[in-house]
Amino acid sequence: MAVTTRKAPAAAARHRRPLLRRGLSFEGKMLSPALLVLAAVSIFPFIYIIAMSLSSVRMIGGISFDWVGLDNWTRLFGDGAVWGSWLRSIMFFVLSVGLQMSLGIGIALAIYETRRGRNIITSLVLMPMFMAPVIVGLLGRFLTDSTYGLYAWFLDTIGLYNGDILGSRTSAFLAVTLMDVWEWTPLIALIVLAGLTSMPKQVLEAAAIDGASYWSRLRDIVLPMISGVIIVALLIRSMDAIRYFDIITNTTNGGPADATKIVPIRLYETAFRFFDLGYAAAIGLSMLAVTILMANLFMRILKQRGLAR
Amino acid sequence: MTDSNRAGSRLTRRQMVVRASAGAAALALPGALSACGGSDKTTPVSTDEWRQFAGTTLNFISENTAPTSAIAANVKPFTDLTGIEVKFSQLELSALVQKVALDFASGIGAYDVVYADPYQVLAPYKSAMAELNAFNADPNLPKIQDLDDFIPTQLDAAGRFVDREKLYALPYDAPTLIWMYRKDIFEKHRGRMQDDLGFDPMPGDDSTWEQFYEISNWIRTNASDDVPYGSGHQAKQHDSLMNDFSNVLWAYGGDYFANGQDVGRYGSEDPGEPLLDRPESIEGAEMYRKLVSIAHPASKGWDWTGLAEAFMAGQVAMGAEWHEFAAGIEASKIAGKVGYARLPRGPERSANMYGGTGIGINGVAPERQQKAAWLFVNWATSPDTQLSNLKSEVGGGTPTRESIYRLPEVQQARKPPSAMPNVLTTDAVFEAWKPENIGLRPKIAAWNECDTVIFTELSKMLAGSQTAEQCMRNAKDGFEGAIDRAAALRRQ
Repeated sequence: MAVTTRKAPAAAARHRRPLLRRGLSFEGKMLSPALLVLAAVSIFPFIYIIAMSLSSVRMIGGISFDWVGLDNWTRLFGDGAVWGSWLRSIMFFVLSVGLQMSLGIGIALAIYETRRGRNIITSLVLMPMFMAPVIVGLLGRFLTDSTYGLYAWFLDTIGLYNGDILGSRTSAFLAVTLMDVWEWTPLIALIVLAGLTSMPKQVLEAAAIDGASYWSRLRDIVLPMISGVIIVALLIRSMDAIRYFDIITNTTNGGPADATKIVPIRLYETAFRFFDLGYAAAIGLSMLAVTILMANLFMRILKQRGLAR
Repeated sequence: MTDSNRAGSRLTRRQMVVRASAGAAALALPGALSACGGSDKTTPVSTDEWRQFAGTTLNFISENTAPTSAIAANVKPFTDLTGIEVKFSQLELSALVQKVALDFASGIGAYDVVYADPYQVLAPYKSAMAELNAFNADPNLPKIQDLDDFIPTQLDAAGRFVDREKLYALPYDAPTLIWMYRKDIFEKHRGRMQDDLGFDPMPGDDSTWEQFYEISNWIRTNASDDVPYGSGHQAKQHDSLMNDFSNVLWAYGGDYFANGQDVGRYGSEDPGEPLLDRPESIEGAEMYRKLVSIAHPASKGWDWTGLAEAFMAGQVAMGAEWHEFAAGIEASKIAGKVGYARLPRGPERSANMYGGTGIGINGVAPERQQKAAWLFVNWATSPDTQLSNLKSEVGGGTPTRESIYRLPEVQQARKPPSAMPNVLTTDAVFEAWKPENIGLRPKIAAWNECDTVIFTELSKMLAGSQTAEQCMRNAKDGFEGAIDRAAALRRQ
């Protein structure tokens, strides 16, 4: 004990020495090239975009910034259209990620229980996520077209819906949400399936021998054991859902009546249609802030569960 | 004199043949131009003028339109004439605007020849475009083949911005919204429609939007075995919705700004107060809402391509569509069954949206590239090339020179079956292009944002979220905000 108390101040003093005098550790030296590249490609653009958000950006004759202070930010917080886009983004997020998680976990559990043809089923289930989102958008547009679309014809035939799917607000919003769900549910299934296959089978077998039902095992053993994996899957898809863009661009372009104009579409429109780059930078930074907050929330949950350091 | 110089001064047999061919082609050009209707004002072309940039490669960025497809498929005569290679980038219009704007901002000048949409490229980025009169006055460069041959309204609308002397682009295509209708269905039911509706349904000078509505409703109710819906619209939340609506707005006496025809033809730095909340504008919006309410329900998801596909698929009997789509329509299963007419009139007039574009030169590009680009711009808009585009199997141009339409072979093609299907629309478009009938959207720097404002508000109206009056008032507010922001940017 006495030895420990003598050594502790010395160790603390060593840690207090400036980094430059101490020199980089071996790990630091190994990481430094990558960190320098990261700084070049991330930190500089980040500072640049902050400067843009505080400026009015002119494009003719080369990019030039005119300082406008917090004008773009004041406009952002008072812009009802942007708030409307955030509301739609939240609705899309809840619906899309919620469906993807429910269906993905369900599909993974079904595949896990399947004994024959498991590899073929897994391959088939995973196929949508190998398609580029822009192709999914085009496919969705063709399938929902009221003139020749298969889905439009099917819904009309069974008497469920006879309007134009991408032409009315609710159906268009649901359609673009379901296109995203169709493409990315397999990713959740894959991640959860990986978690399921890494579980120790003895625990499940012991529970089964003790007479636990499938639902009891699922609730009390399986889900708690794979909860870390589920949260990672949720984190990945949540961050992607905030940036959802390609499919909407290729189907509704934000319409009808702005029903599918979520924040990334409004950001794109502001930046590359109106070329109001200062305001677009402010919108983009607000998206970044939300994404970071969300990532921190999930990381905190993971830490609370002892699944992340 | 070094060996290499000596070698340079002696022509090989192969070089002789190539240069002789190029010279012959260059010398033949003015003859060909005058033969196809160019006036005797054509300028003699010397081989040197056209060959001075041989070996250069030009990049041409264009919307994916029929004339560019035709030129891309038949650019060899230009390369043979000049020794210049041309690379084509064909994009959807919004993607083109984005790339051109970023190119102007970067100062790189990656695209030498620019498809200069008057509203989305020319108006906001005029200062980055090269002024063409300087090239036309350069004694070392070939001159424009009879500038007066271009249809005057189109030369101003596509080529100028505010200053009536300066020229930034030469008219390259001229798509215009006209009334396309199923002639076979109209003729089949003509008598019954006349009895039921009390007027002759065949499109004519006195046809009105009210009659258009009644015909659409009648077909939907009485002829659904032939075609499910009477009419279709390009009413997607897209630029197409603004185009489709504007015809009705103007027909009812509404407008975007005071002196709208001038703001459309020459452009304006300060268009003044928007007029969208005036009673005439609101009446136009209400009429448009009424028209869409009985049209094919998918209209709200269609842009111009969607409407054309539905028309060709036999889903609708009529609609307002760009006349350049005639080439595709006359190659579809409804070929020979389609009639073309000027759009109906409202209480004020008939208005037919002009969607033509010019091609110009990127002022950011190096001087040599700009001069080489001048050769291409000059050649691509020459009568000979426009005639060739018109005949093209892959394109289907929309000539912007009056002389083309006077040619005997073009006159002959005005009746079906036609080897130049776009010419079938000639009567309709010449009516549409009359100053009293042409529809010119505002050519202002803030148009991209104003366009988005109007088609978004209209989309909300069509979805039932707001009335026509609210729609127009909100659109006016949106216009004012966009114009103020553009003005503030200009002042900096």
